Amino acid sequence: MKSIKIFLWVLAFGLIVLSQRAWAQVTPEFQIGARGVVSFNTDVANHKATSAVNDFSDSGLLVGFRQKMYNKFRGQLVIGFQFPDADSDLGQLFFHQTFVKLEDRTNIIKLGRSRVRSSLIEFPTLRDDDALPFTDVLNPFSNGQNSEDNQYGNVAEYAHVFKQRYWVRIHGEHFTETPIPPETSETDFSLNAIGFSLQYRVPRTQLWNRPFLQQIGIGFNNFLTDRPGYSGQWDRALKNVVVSTILNLRPDPVYFWDFRAQVIYNFGFDEITAVKEYAELTRARSFAGLASLRYLYRKLERPALQIAVSAGYKTFPDLKTASSQFQLVGNTFYRLGDNFDVALQVQYKQFSGDLKNLYGENQVRFQVGLVYAIDHAWNRQFDDRDSLLNLEHGYIP
Amino acid sequence: MKRREFLQSTSLLSAAALFPASLLAPEARAANTRRFPKPLQPEMDGEVKVFRLFVDIYQQEVVPGFKFHTLAFNNQVPGPEIRVKRGDKVRVIFKNKTELNHTIHWHGMHVPWRMDGVPYVTQMPVMPGQEFVYEFEAEPQGTHFYHCHWGTLLHMQSGMYGSLIVEEPDDPIRKRFPYQREYTLIYSAHDSNFIRNELNSMLERMKERMYLMKNGRFDKRRFAVFNTKEEFVQAVKDGYLPPYVISRRSRAELPQPNWFTVNGKSYPMTPNIYIKTGENIRLRLINAGTEEHYLHLHGHDFWQVCDDGLPVPQPWQRNTLRLSPGKTLDIIIEGKNRGIWTFHDHDTRRVTNNGLYPGGNLLALVYEDLPAEETELNMMARKMGLPNLPIVALDE
Ligand SMILES: [Cu+2]
Repeated sequence: MKSIKIFLWVLAFGLIVLSQRAWAQVTPEFQIGARGVVSFNTDVANHKATSAVNDFSDSGLLVGFRQKMYNKFRGQLVIGFQFPDADSDLGQLFFHQTFVKLEDRTNIIKLGRSRVRSSLIEFPTLRDDDALPFTDVLNPFSNGQNSEDNQYGNVAEYAHVFKQRYWVRIHGEHFTETPIPPETSETDFSLNAIGFSLQYRVPRTQLWNRPFLQQIGIGFNNFLTDRPGYSGQWDRALKNVVVSTILNLRPDPVYFWDFRAQVIYNFGFDEITAVKEYAELTRARSFAGLASLRYLYRKLERPALQIAVSAGYKTFPDLKTASSQFQLVGNTFYRLGDNFDVALQVQYKQFSGDLKNLYGENQVRFQVGLVYAIDHAWNRQFDDRDSLLNLEHGYIP
Repeated sequence: MKRREFLQSTSLLSAAALFPASLLAPEARAANTRRFPKPLQPEMDGEVKVFRLFVDIYQQEVVPGFKFHTLAFNNQVPGPEIRVKRGDKVRVIFKNKTELNHTIHWHGMHVPWRMDGVPYVTQMPVMPGQEFVYEFEAEPQGTHFYHCHWGTLLHMQSGMYGSLIVEEPDDPIRKRFPYQREYTLIYSAHDSNFIRNELNSMLERMKERMYLMKNGRFDKRRFAVFNTKEEFVQAVKDGYLPPYVISRRSRAELPQPNWFTVNGKSYPMTPNIYIKTGENIRLRLINAGTEEHYLHLHGHDFWQVCDDGLPVPQPWQRNTLRLSPGKTLDIIIEGKNRGIWTFHDHDTRRVTNNGLYPGGNLLALVYEDLPAEETELNMMARKMGLPNLPIVALDE
């Protein structure tokens, strides 16, 4: 009897030690992403010039932790904040990312505040929101004050990857709803958008494997809007279709050329025939297209100079007054050191019809800036889905 | 039948009854054999022994539940054992099946200098898809090894090493210490995180470089290759930034091995060394890694008989030896103390699996004539369902 007692004591003690060990020894992978974008802006609108000395919007910090689960999944937590645009009412700091993610080789589950799936690809602009009416499906619940309303929201997303390159994504979001006075903040955080997308995408690491087609995709975004006069959910929903592609025109490691384009078709509500405010702008039937041509010169296997030109056109066919908007963005980035660029950007915007009343006839913006963007991980313990070892030599969980 | 013969035959026939079945069962023996480098069979071309080696990316399971991508000769880590007689004419046809560059260096061998396998010094690297033929006469005798000499820090710990044994027809070691059985043990140390990160980044860069190479656009600066030192110095004066200036990584990311292997496996998957009372066995110890190992054998003093393959003038007895990177040492163990004895690095950091003890290069010297009753455990252990020693235990 005594030996059994001792044995049980030893076992119990061992389990305590073991459990403490196990807790203490899992040091996660630690990731930091930081971006500083500071520019000097000069705007010319209606023959009047105004300037801003320090525009540091879009600068931000991301911190991530990642580790292996007991099964084949990895778990991740990302928390990040951004400095919003000066004219936003989001305060000094905006926590744009706070999400957890679970993923294995082919499944990804993401929950929390993050970038909404309002676009399929990214465009070469200085700031993410520089060509927002063309790059993103616009949030019909926003009053348009904060561009962040269109980019970030509360997201629940599931993605499945077939054969390394085919992505199917289903997502539900709560897009920010601008509070209606006398309310000063949001009280309802329920699901107000659902969507899904299908994409073919060549992993970044295989850029040189597949010379021409890099990405092609289609996405559907449905906002669960409250449309007066309609009761069925389908009729009440604001529906958008997004189609995109990226083509390697010249997949040369030194003199690289690519082309990308995205079109957004907003089915809109046909009762909207005039645009006087943002809510109508986002709910009117519209067609937006944006295309970019990018040249990248790479010296000693790292980027040295990038020149890009993008042009976007958006039209609103249902409006009584023919209305459209046009935007041209030209920019160049010259690399001073790893991850550090000098940037020059010129934007030209032109509005007609109802949009002219909202935004003026045209606007030119000149920007000179510095950009420092890093993305680094410490204590790395496992490989990524898109690494060449995992893609081409067998996946190791 | 003499009593001695009788004893021998029964011990052979009833070995399993005498000894823990787990260690002497045929499957266990076969599995153990696989934990030593597999000899590569040559084809004969006249009097030349022709060996074929290829390198490819391969997944090595170091212990159950842990695998990593390796660069492996003939899908084995270590590569197969090349075993020849001194003076043999040897030809090795080496095929590169990876998208990376490689060479083979014959460590300790007196090969013609253009066969030495040092990229840009004695030959051009063997590029993706290429084949290179190495030819030499096997000289001198003893325990040697071969390894890749391109990006050696990465490629060696990624698995590109194998034993090269040159047998001396009139071996003085065998004369002084008659033996039948010998074992090759190749030590290495791996920073699995460094291997993964560097292999990935090298594979990415090579895809890009091969794209340029195919189009006949070899740019010396881009490939960091220069004709002369003067040309290189001038390039730096003209503003060229060498890789070490652009600094691909910070100091903290220099490799820190976290897995320690013998013949590509860590404890408890390391091989057993079998011996019998009264028997001499020869161990050929090769350090193909970057760490120094202080190998200690319990319960015995062994004879150190060769250093870098060559017989030492006066074999000496000791129980701990220092196996430096690049070194080979041969020892003779005399079966004088029946039991199960560990043979391990006394820098016990290397007796861990990813920092957790025990693991790493721990292995066991096992007497085949050990009576089963000597391996029995007490009541408590039996209640835990553990009948005999040794036990595989991974908890500290
Ligand atoms: Cu190699």
